Amino acid sequence: MDFQTAKSRALLTKKIREFFDSNNFLEVETPIMSSCVDTEPNLDPFETFLIEKSNPKAAKIPMYLNPSPEIHMKKLLAQNSGDIYTLTKTFRNGEFGGGRHNPEFTMLEWYRLNADYTKMMEDCENLVLHMNTNLNKDPTKLTHQGHTIDLTPPWPRIEVNELFIQNCGIDLLKNRDFTTLQKTAQTYLNDKKKPYTLNACETWDDIFYKIFLNDIEPNLGLEKPVIVYNYPATQRALAKKHEQNEFWVERFELYIAGQELCNAFSELTDADEQRKRFEEDLLTRKEMGKTIFPIDEEFLTGLESITQPCAGNALGVDRLMMILLDKASIDDVIFFPIQTT
Amino acid sequence: MALVFNGTTCLVTSTQFVNPGKGSAFTRAKLKNLRTGQVVESTFKSGESVEIADVQNKKCQYLYKDGAGYNFMDNDTYEQFALSAEDIAENGNYLKDGTNCYALYIDNNPVSIQLQPKMDFKVTFADPGVKGDSASGANKDCEIETGLKVKVPLFIKEGDIIKVNTETGEYDSKVNEASS
Repeated sequence: MDFQTAKSRALLTKKIREFFDSNNFLEVETPIMSSCVDTEPNLDPFETFLIEKSNPKAAKIPMYLNPSPEIHMKKLLAQNSGDIYTLTKTFRNGEFGGGRHNPEFTMLEWYRLNADYTKMMEDCENLVLHMNTNLNKDPTKLTHQGHTIDLTPPWPRIEVNELFIQNCGIDLLKNRDFTTLQKTAQTYLNDKKKPYTLNACETWDDIFYKIFLNDIEPNLGLEKPVIVYNYPATQRALAKKHEQNEFWVERFELYIAGQELCNAFSELTDADEQRKRFEEDLLTRKEMGKTIFPIDEEFLTGLESITQPCAGNALGVDRLMMILLDKASIDDVIFFPIQTT
Repeated sequence: MALVFNGTTCLVTSTQFVNPGKGSAFTRAKLKNLRTGQVVESTFKSGESVEIADVQNKKCQYLYKDGAGYNFMDNDTYEQFALSAEDIAENGNYLKDGTNCYALYIDNNPVSIQLQPKMDFKVTFADPGVKGDSASGANKDCEIETGLKVKVPLFIKEGDIIKVNTETGEYDSKVNEASS
């Protein structure tokens, strides 16, 4: 990153704070390191140990660099924090290369009480417009790597299933189990003479993502930002099930210029359901030979005391900077990106 | 690395890790078809098996161009071979007699060449610059000895040796002054 870019980035960071402060959010700092972390099987937190200097013989306590501030943010909500946001460093081992990831990155995460994910969609529109004001001549226009993107709200909102139907003629609701989806997807691949195969796909989600990443995602948000919502419940994380149809969860992702920028949910506040998901995650981690983390009991107890509906959003700040500042790689918007060679 | 994708041999020109949040990790790769030069993107699931292509890089030297195309010599065996203008593509803009480069072989057949990322060229034509402009960042056109036009800072003169990025065709730096 050059210093001209650094100046613009610093200004944009100020504007993020301006936006949330003026909307009466409280800015909070959450721990970078903790003894309990998100159990998501596909995340690989950096692992370290806490030592006791006064008692060198004491057992070392495993500690992890947080891959997300989510658990701590929710603990604060449980203590009646009200609406909160954080701008924090998060860490994910193994995730680098290709100009879209750095193992250490900046996350913007915010939570609203008495809100669902549709309110988060509006927040995204307003936040990006606020950041683009004074940065580009016309606050509703943005150029990224040759694409002119129109930011005028409202941004198109499209359900995941609708994307599959429109792009591939596959209705996920009619293909709910692995074997059915495999058959339908194979027919689609054959008919369209697709160059890729489903050979390595072992689960329903594998097929879902193989098609989504190859044929749908690269074209999202090239003219206007796009909000893709209602994801299959199999990819549920800490999201609440959809009110009308439990096949989906109330989750959305924002895409600008083919880039995924955030992941938002109507938050799950049912502690029993959350415990079940943690346990399933840990079982999967065990099968994958990954570290088993302790379940954060404080978090689960806290979850019970969140009585209002609540929505949260996690946004990759480096990627947003890359898009707003028209850079080809996130390495161009961070000082000292990781170098492995 | 090169692999066989959809029946053709492709060079992996870049890879990008993709973690869709839930489930398996994926890798998005840019694949350059070594026959046509066409670049396609495809996303592979981590652990997906692919057929690795037998690709070799051999040092070679560019000799001359004739009806058969661009002629090269293998530096180890002194064997000569020709590549068509299609095989050479943009690289043809940077070839001068005696240029050392790498030839890419698939299944023991030469299919294309790879140049040094930056190479030195003599400027054969440049408009005289205007005095005092050297710090302004303005550019002008010049022609290098292979006939390629390159945008250079105003202080570059005919006869100067300049370094050019052979991937982008952009001016990199000045090597030395024209001897007067």
